[in-house]
Amino acid sequence: MKLFTATVIENEEIMPATHVLTLDAGSAAYNAAPGQFLHIRCGSGGWPLLRRPMSVYRTEGRTVQLMVRDVGEGSHLLVQSKPGDELDCLGPSGCGFRLESKARNLLMVGGGYGVAPLVGLAERAIARGANVTLAVGAATDALVFPASLLPEEVEYLVATDDGSAGHHGLVTDLLPDRLPWADAVYSCGPLPMTATLARIMRERAPRTPGQVAMEERMGCSMGVCLGCVVETRKGPMRVCTDGPVFRVGDIVWREGAQGPDA
Amino acid sequence: MHVEIGVNAKRPLRLENPVLTASGTFGYGTEYAKIVDIQRLGAIVSKGITLHPRRGNRGPRIVETPAGMLNAIGLQNVGLRKVIEQKAPIWAQWDVPVIVNIAGDTADEFAYMAERLDGVPGVAALELNISCPNVWEGGRVVGDDAASSAAITAAVRQRTGLPIIVKLSPQIADICGAAKAVEDAGADAISLINTYVGMKIDTKTARPALANVTGGLSGPAIRPMAVWLVYLVSQVVSIPIIGLGGIASAEDALEFIFAGASAIQVGTMTFVEPRTGLRIVEELPAAAASRGYDSVAEMVGLAHQARRS
Repeated sequence: MKLFTATVIENEEIMPATHVLTLDAGSAAYNAAPGQFLHIRCGSGGWPLLRRPMSVYRTEGRTVQLMVRDVGEGSHLLVQSKPGDELDCLGPSGCGFRLESKARNLLMVGGGYGVAPLVGLAERAIARGANVTLAVGAATDALVFPASLLPEEVEYLVATDDGSAGHHGLVTDLLPDRLPWADAVYSCGPLPMTATLARIMRERAPRTPGQVAMEERMGCSMGVCLGCVVETRKGPMRVCTDGPVFRVGDIVWREGAQGPDA
Repeated sequence: MHVEIGVNAKRPLRLENPVLTASGTFGYGTEYAKIVDIQRLGAIVSKGITLHPRRGNRGPRIVETPAGMLNAIGLQNVGLRKVIEQKAPIWAQWDVPVIVNIAGDTADEFAYMAERLDGVPGVAALELNISCPNVWEGGRVVGDDAASSAAITAAVRQRTGLPIIVKLSPQIADICGAAKAVEDAGADAISLINTYVGMKIDTKTARPALANVTGGLSGPAIRPMAVWLVYLVSQVVSIPIIGLGGIASAEDALEFIFAGASAIQVGTMTFVEPRTGLRIVEELPAAAASRGYDSVAEMVGLAHQARRS
């Protein structure tokens, strides 16, 4: 992890309000793993004040790609980046996904822009000879991650809230059919989705290893401010340092344990 | 650039430069060492320590606000024993002094912690956190008036020869009275200021953005209020004042120095730019020289002088 300046090479809008930024990150890119993130200053001047954490989407050599959705003040500025722009980055940080060595059938479950780290993870898993099924949930078909950007070998399952593509309903509706096949589960998405996934795994596949990427407002990203904690069986743990990726069974899902909307 | 705190203390604290890190923003010092040269700082102030380990508040604990942030961490910390057994031995190997911030529920608790830390290698001074607004309902603070602030300071003074810095809340009723009272009670310096109580409401959910409802506001948004209180209090005490509140640059540090601070702390801005403290260390001597001063000490309180024509 280091402080470094990355140069924007490309900015491509792949879905409405969703951009893939390709950055030349120099040597910082080599250790970047799916599930990790870069903490980035957005805009120039003092607004917004705090850096924003952006998940590593894919890496290749010196380049790191981020998938950024325009949902707030920081991301709104980031999606306007132009080639040649320099970004002040801190990272790559956090504990990313770890491919279980004996797992051959990998079920990846993504919600909304949570699909981002799973794409790079799927690529690495395929390269290792694993079978990957990626299930993605989105509000509507325009926000379904484009299949053309996935390796051909990935089995791609889609669910949309409005039924405009794939299954009409939640991505977690697809889990019961797939869990018996899966040797391991990897997930990234909104809290309610993750909570539902955790419950279904507990009920139907309690011995299947699962890793979930958690998200929380971040202050320092260095593990010192203690702002980004989530409740786990070992007490409050920092998403920036102890996570973002946690074992699914470690997260405590008591009502209200993970914030007001969990 | 050096600053002396506790000239008459059994163990006076001499800092190589006036730039410290603020409690709660630098952990126990080891974390940021990975990316910046912490040994070049004037001092590190540790996370606030309590007698027993604390798990802190339920999340969400932080939220950004204009030019600042609210935090309601709730003093999550490893507790006094772990600090003495695991952290202090690391600090003892460092050049940079480490000041331990302590937070108690009562004057007795403060005094007990001070006694336990007295003489521990690696502990250079104590900062008394009598003003953290996040562990009692509605943002109340334990040292919320002059009398209780003085009582805590006196109790600690009796039990330690370490330099004692008292960190005051900006919302204490009579801050000048409290400052004088802690000086009389034996404080070697005063940190001004801790955070202001505030809240943010998420307009999508119509709910407080923090699980704790209130949090402490820090960052550039509070700088003018911090500068004012340094300016005010420096007129009524003779012990050094350590100024903090949204310092982001050598220019900001100068504001506090001109207002009457002998040293400063960088807090929130370390999250934004981890090199902030070291940049100020590097730039302050030139900032002094360009104004015709050989040292920071000569600039302390300049704003109080009669206007120059």
